[in-house]
Amino acid sequence: MPRASLAWSVAGLLAAVVLPWYALQEGLDSGVWLSGLWSSEDYASGLGQLLAHGRWWLAPVLLALAASSTVSLLPLERERQGPLLLLASGIGLVLFVAQALGIGLRGWTVDWLNILFGELDARQVGIGAGGALVFIALLSLLSIGLALRGGFGGDAFVAGAVTTVGASIVLFTAWPILRILLQAFQDGDGAFMPALLIDRLAVEKIWSLRCLVGGGRCGVAWNTLFLALACGAGTTALGLAFALIATRTSFAYKKTLRVLTVLPIITPPFVIGLALILVFGRSGLVNQFLEWSMGVPPTRWIYGFQGVFLAQLFAFTPVAFLVLIGVVDGVSPTLEEASQTLRADRWATFSTVSLPLMRPGLANAFLVGFIESIADFGNPIVLGGDYGVLSTEIYFAVVGAQLDYGRAAALALLLLVFALGAFFLQRHVVGTRSYATISGKGDSGLPTPLPDRARRTAQWIALPWAGITLLLYGFAFVGGLVKVWGRDYTPTLDHYAKAFAIERSADGLIWSGAAWNSFWTTVKLAAIAAPLTAALGLLAAWLLVRQRFAGRATLEFATMLSFAVPGTVIGVAYVFAFNVPPIEITGTAMIIVLCFIFRNMPVGVRAGMAAMSQIDRSLDEASLTLRGGAPQTLVYVVLPLLRPAIVGALVYGFVRAVTTVSAVVFLVTAEYELATTYIILRVINGDYGLAIAYSCALIVLMLAVILLIQLAVGERRLGRRAPQIQGGRA
Amino acid sequence: MSVEFRDVVKRYGTATAVAGVSFTVEAGTLVTLLGPSGCGKTTTLRMIAGLELPSEGRILIAGRDVTNLSATQRDVSMVFQSYALFPHMSVLENVCYGLRRSGQNKAEAADRAREGLKQVGLAGFEERQPSELSGGQQQRVAVARALVLKPSVLLFDEPLSNLDARLRRQMREEIRELQQRLGLTVVYVTHDQQEAMAVSDRIIVMNAGRIEQQGGPRDLYERPATPFLARFMGESNPARGSVRRLAPGKVNVRLGEAEIEIADTGAADGEAMVAVRPEAITVEPAPGPTGALSGKIAKASYLGTHMEYSIDTAAGTLFATCPRVERPLSAGTAVAITLAPRGVIIVGQ
Repeated sequence: MPRASLAWSVAGLLAAVVLPWYALQEGLDSGVWLSGLWSSEDYASGLGQLLAHGRWWLAPVLLALAASSTVSLLPLERERQGPLLLLASGIGLVLFVAQALGIGLRGWTVDWLNILFGELDARQVGIGAGGALVFIALLSLLSIGLALRGGFGGDAFVAGAVTTVGASIVLFTAWPILRILLQAFQDGDGAFMPALLIDRLAVEKIWSLRCLVGGGRCGVAWNTLFLALACGAGTTALGLAFALIATRTSFAYKKTLRVLTVLPIITPPFVIGLALILVFGRSGLVNQFLEWSMGVPPTRWIYGFQGVFLAQLFAFTPVAFLVLIGVVDGVSPTLEEASQTLRADRWATFSTVSLPLMRPGLANAFLVGFIESIADFGNPIVLGGDYGVLSTEIYFAVVGAQLDYGRAAALALLLLVFALGAFFLQRHVVGTRSYATISGKGDSGLPTPLPDRARRTAQWIALPWAGITLLLYGFAFVGGLVKVWGRDYTPTLDHYAKAFAIERSADGLIWSGAAWNSFWTTVKLAAIAAPLTAALGLLAAWLLVRQRFAGRATLEFATMLSFAVPGTVIGVAYVFAFNVPPIEITGTAMIIVLCFIFRNMPVGVRAGMAAMSQIDRSLDEASLTLRGGAPQTLVYVVLPLLRPAIVGALVYGFVRAVTTVSAVVFLVTAEYELATTYIILRVINGDYGLAIAYSCALIVLMLAVILLIQLAVGERRLGRRAPQIQGGRA
Repeated sequence: MSVEFRDVVKRYGTATAVAGVSFTVEAGTLVTLLGPSGCGKTTTLRMIAGLELPSEGRILIAGRDVTNLSATQRDVSMVFQSYALFPHMSVLENVCYGLRRSGQNKAEAADRAREGLKQVGLAGFEERQPSELSGGQQQRVAVARALVLKPSVLLFDEPLSNLDARLRRQMREEIRELQQRLGLTVVYVTHDQQEAMAVSDRIIVMNAGRIEQQGGPRDLYERPATPFLARFMGESNPARGSVRRLAPGKVNVRLGEAEIEIADTGAADGEAMVAVRPEAITVEPAPGPTGALSGKIAKASYLGTHMEYSIDTAAGTLFATCPRVERPLSAGTAVAITLAPRGVIIVGQ
């Protein structure tokens, strides 16, 4: 522990003296700040700002840092040192946050501070490397203090991990969402007006029900709800049919069904929408055929509710399938066998035992479909036409001509309420009533084959649907290989050439394709985000599963909550929260990476928790009593056993970063353009060929990366094939 | 090295797992924490290890206050109920693990690990995977892994509960032999009273988060202080009787129509709770000697080594074991019961 204290004390003090306190326009790597560490008001370190530039409010923060460092290094008794360190670093953190929030670009940020202390003519820009590192050092010293007092099992590493994960979730998930709340109540000048929220939300455009009674359009809130209900019901029914076929029949092509579940994960979410346009759009196959055979003029039928609904059904059915396959598998065969020995035939068994046992799972799948639908942005923007939903409405409020942040915030709030409502319903009504029939004991029963009636129904629904899904993907692929869909079906590679051309010139290779810029940005940012996402997610999972500490339940709740927040809401929230000091990173690559990380981390947490709860806790404890501290235990025992989860988290972190649209659509700039946002713009402009060619390239990229990660991380070596890893017992 | 608990309390939220426990484990002895499941014995053991930190009170190991130290910082190692062998490491790597983490180089660690494996009779198994060993061998690897660190205190958490009965006896003898040969300080948790009596220098019996009684195996069996203890340490029949003090050092206990003189343990005159050991009951066909308790056999079972009888008497239904299997008594037989004084214990008022 003294080593950790020393390291963080030195790091904090150095950061306060030799790193620029505030963020730099030029970026840290430019090096221009080196000469101005003391003299320049922009480049000065914390100490320089305090002494040479009159930023007196930094004094208490730096004093608290010095005090914490001193206390942590003095040879004191644990009983004295712990509380003292806690006190000093705690005060430092409070003061740090207070000055960062209290003083902004135009002096005091809140009116009552102006009244209390008088006008302040100094200003603060966003926190830079120096300030950030001082904050982290204070946080680390606080953790050491907590551990010295016997918190977190007396382990400084655990304490540090908890505070790191906790603080980062507060900063990059809770704070932005809180900002939405504030923004929804504020007018254009930032004044707080509670009535404004009602003004913004109580409008006909949101709540009108005119589509039900006498022509006209319904409000976007209702649109969103109708669509989500339909999508939830549809995907659940289809998913159940698939799940029954995959687990309870002798259907020969089960592997192919599994492939269907992988496709939507590695395709950008609007690809199905694109394919639907190619088939049903104005110049799509169906319209062309009707015009050619019967002279029916082409219609824009696909644009609207039916188009978005179909696209979401195709896109999210595999998700429902994944949820339900676990549910169907979880119904204990022994129960079904018991039913059959009690004079119930197959159909009676299915309808009175199996199906009721699946009911909580079905409700779960429904809510997952519901949440996916209201969070979807890609399909509504591509296919919605006049049928507006909340996510597209938010987009137009921020990006469109309206530029009304208040309205965007209010709509985001509404969307958030819908999402969280569904989430709570899922957790509290459904989650607690699960008849999970999987126990640690092996179940020696054999799954009962499906009764003929049910099997035929399932096959009649699922197989044609699977066929159409594959066909749609096929069309999407072919669409990139013809000149102009609907007019000129000459095979061509033009679209690929336009996107990914490389020219040879005297100066070497020129990446002249239109897509290269966004492609490399995407790859680079996703590659940065994926390992960080996995690391943070698995660390959080390890803390949640393996450590007992005050606030554990809150931390778990917070990570799960951010899971339910729709991407559009996160995106808008980031725009609001991070375009003003103290954290001013709008327009940088950093905000995109942070958004990737905190958007995708909850899945890593879930996967990690699931994997970790299969590893007997006594393995960790054995390592701890064998002189392996918490970090060594993590490295030598937990991680080697977690390889599959690591692969999963890395792949997911990367793939989601590449395919996400809704969250980043607000964050991209001309400099940092991403593949998906680039493609969406091409689609909106009607340039389908290029969009499809680019999407296919992305799919290939992701398949390659998945293989690469699998190879790099490798298999875990267990020397046996039992599914449950338990301390050495055979 | 010694272990000392001073008024240690452990709470989880509102539930109290350990409610104020104080004891000392002398250096070089094997002390068992014994009790039914949920009594707080495992929590107590884990607090010695540092896997749980107490809510109140102090813990001292070798005279040093370790209350807030984590498991890694304490000089303690532990053998787990599930053995907790790392499934991704070979036997040798498992035994080396603690040595490597304490900073020894690879060769040195491997040497000591081999020596440790030899000590538990597993030389030659170094390159095996844990899954390729039998339960007893895995158990020995777990012991070797803990032993090679030469800890001040070695902890065992129900180490034999995953073994079959024959292996259990063999392993407990090995553990006891190892402890005495190396002069180790050992704290051992079990819920099996016979296992506790077989291995321990001293036994601490816990119940509902408190220490019920502590002492040597013989003390606890022959002089249980509470009805719980009489029931938990071996079998006993609870009965109500009356106590009358006779000469100094002797008391007369009346059970139904029977009277027994036993040694005075300080019980007051009057009604008392009495525990009667089943093996202290002698059953004969009626009529027996004067002063015997008369009864009728309700159930009789033959168990090979002995007979078991349930007998209805004026003092309640008594359970008795009888080594005479050659002349069994059948249900319904009227019998006379005599009680051996050393199997009649006053356990409360």
